[in-house]
Amino acid sequence: MTPVQQALLILLIPLASAAIIALFLRRKGGLATIVSVTAAAALAGLSLSLIASGEEINHSWEWMQIGGLTISLGIKFDDLAALMLFVVSFVGFFIHLFSTGYMLDDKARGRYFAGLSIFMFSMIGIVFADNLFMMFIFWELVGFSSYLLINHYHEKQTAADASNKAFIVNRVGDFGFLLGIILCYWTYGTVNLTELGLISDSGGLVHSKPIPLLLFCGAVGKSAQMPLQVWLPDAMEGPTPVSALIHAATMVAAGIFMLCRIEMLMVPEALNIIMWVGTITALYAALCAIVQSDIKKVLAYSTLSQLGYMVAAFGLGSLVFEQDGRDVLVFAGVGAAMFHLTTHAFFKALLFLGSGSVIHGCHHEQDIFQMGGLRKKMPITFLTFTIGVLAIIGMPGLAGFFSKDAILLLAMKNNTVVFGVLVFTAILTAFYMIRMWKLVFFGETRSDNAAKSHESGMSMTLPLLVLAGLAIIGGYAGIYGKLAGSVADLVPHAHGSEHTMIFVTSIVVLLIGSLGAWVYYKPGAKDTLEQNSNGLFNGLTTLKESFDALYGYYVAKVQQRFAMLLNFLEQIFLAGLIIRGFSGLVGLLGLGARALHVGSLHAYVHWFLLGIALLWVLTSGLF
Amino acid sequence: MIEIGLNAYILLSVVLFAIGFFGVLVRKNTLVIYICLELMLVAATLALVAFSRYNGTMDGNVFVFFILTVAAAEVAVGLAIIVALFRKRMTVQVDKLNALKN
Repeated sequence: MTPVQQALLILLIPLASAAIIALFLRRKGGLATIVSVTAAAALAGLSLSLIASGEEINHSWEWMQIGGLTISLGIKFDDLAALMLFVVSFVGFFIHLFSTGYMLDDKARGRYFAGLSIFMFSMIGIVFADNLFMMFIFWELVGFSSYLLINHYHEKQTAADASNKAFIVNRVGDFGFLLGIILCYWTYGTVNLTELGLISDSGGLVHSKPIPLLLFCGAVGKSAQMPLQVWLPDAMEGPTPVSALIHAATMVAAGIFMLCRIEMLMVPEALNIIMWVGTITALYAALCAIVQSDIKKVLAYSTLSQLGYMVAAFGLGSLVFEQDGRDVLVFAGVGAAMFHLTTHAFFKALLFLGSGSVIHGCHHEQDIFQMGGLRKKMPITFLTFTIGVLAIIGMPGLAGFFSKDAILLLAMKNNTVVFGVLVFTAILTAFYMIRMWKLVFFGETRSDNAAKSHESGMSMTLPLLVLAGLAIIGGYAGIYGKLAGSVADLVPHAHGSEHTMIFVTSIVVLLIGSLGAWVYYKPGAKDTLEQNSNGLFNGLTTLKESFDALYGYYVAKVQQRFAMLLNFLEQIFLAGLIIRGFSGLVGLLGLGARALHVGSLHAYVHWFLLGIALLWVLTSGLF
Repeated sequence: MIEIGLNAYILLSVVLFAIGFFGVLVRKNTLVIYICLELMLVAATLALVAFSRYNGTMDGNVFVFFILTVAAAEVAVGLAIIVALFRKRMTVQVDKLNALKN
């Protein structure tokens, strides 16, 4: 099997699985589970062997030709794609496995697993895409599968609304993405990533701010950056494994991946904007996370915050320095962003699956104030969740520590303000994660559901253990070996005094945040912050809701009114004058013509006579 | 023998045609209308014969033979239709035959 065939197989296996389930197994949940999980396992195996083979693929097929525009489908498999493929297929498989236990009692398992398979197909399509058009197609497909899976409990109104919201908000970002692709084609005559890379190497790129920024719009939507972050917390209405796979580990990270794919198009001004968007998102989401009471919402805001870190890391990557009299850009940001993406995929999938295990064990209780004391009832979940928490808050030695340090190092070198904000965000991260951890696992049980909780089965604890392992070792570059290749070389490393500085900062941040939360929060049915300082609590809640309120106001008051005005004009001019006008005219003619047909033979003879007379008059030249 | 000119024949033909036409216009009975139509046809035939005689050629006469033959066939078909119509509707008054109107 050639590498190209292998890559095609990897892409098509999940599609076949989805098709089989959708066509034949919709009501046979058990079989659908087997098909989907087998497909995911085969996919993971093939992916690992493809990655291990170290082959690079650059293969393109012409798909359609419209005038001078050729759209091709192709596979570009390099170090970046290998790393992303590893995350998607490996984490994806364990989430499939977890789902078998989590969704065991679900009536619509067939639909669920078909959704997971179609998602895997779409996501791998993004990873393999060798041009922006193809990426856009799969970009929309992941949006579609995300819609399907958020909407899994579609009889719940909130879930239906959330899926619509996710889809519509993503459309806003995707519009910018599409404009960016068109502008890129307009400017360079190609959207093939390899060709763009060649143009860039030969110095043929023009200094264009709109192209990278428009393409960044797509990432803003998909990776839920400000100001399009509103859909991600609502997307938690979907089943928890879906949140782990799509809304934490892979799809939302696709935005970062896409940015890394188009890094050659970046210019310093665009990177500056990207950096600030990421930084502000990281801070905003961390602030929001502090006042959440739903275990999944805390994790959702934490995901937003970490995605903000990655975007900021990418934006920070533009180390501009002068060489031979001209500015040279170094994209260290790609390394730091992808590094954090990978470790984040491990520990955030772990945290989400852990929360899934907690929710499953507590009979679908999601309120952390109704939990408590789960430490003893769910020992494996507690252990693995703890590793996840320690990894995200940056405990030295765990995955998150290394990747976060890489980002902080970039920030320290480039922009002191951003560095300050990111450090503050790191304090907040430790604060809200420890708060949640303490409320869920420590103290007394606070509700019947929590009291009756139990450890989850093997299919759910095994993925937790594997991901916990990855969350521990995922920070050591050595384990990636060939996997990351040139991407790993781009990860910045601190040396000497910088190293000490970053290390001390991390430790201080970790201690302040976690000790603060540990001491401050008392396990209870009420939020300690709400009791002690109501103003701050309300302020943060308002901050969280401000965007939804703003968009709600915009849609209801501005857009709706504009739409009504347009409708009014349309009713008058288009529907009224043009369409009804023409139809009325024709109707009138018909009415006249009908009046001639009276049904009396004599009338017709008269008409005939009249006609003859008319003909005679015309031919005789009287007129 | 009084020589009768072309004009007299044409006049007769026109009068016959006019009678036939007004018959078609005013009569209500399909059968009578049909007779009037035949009258118009005969008027045209007469004009043809008159022109033929006037020109001293046989063209018109040959035409008339054809017309008479076709008219005979036509009458057979037409009368059959009228009979069938009567059997179906029990009337041949044209003002009653307006089923297509509604």
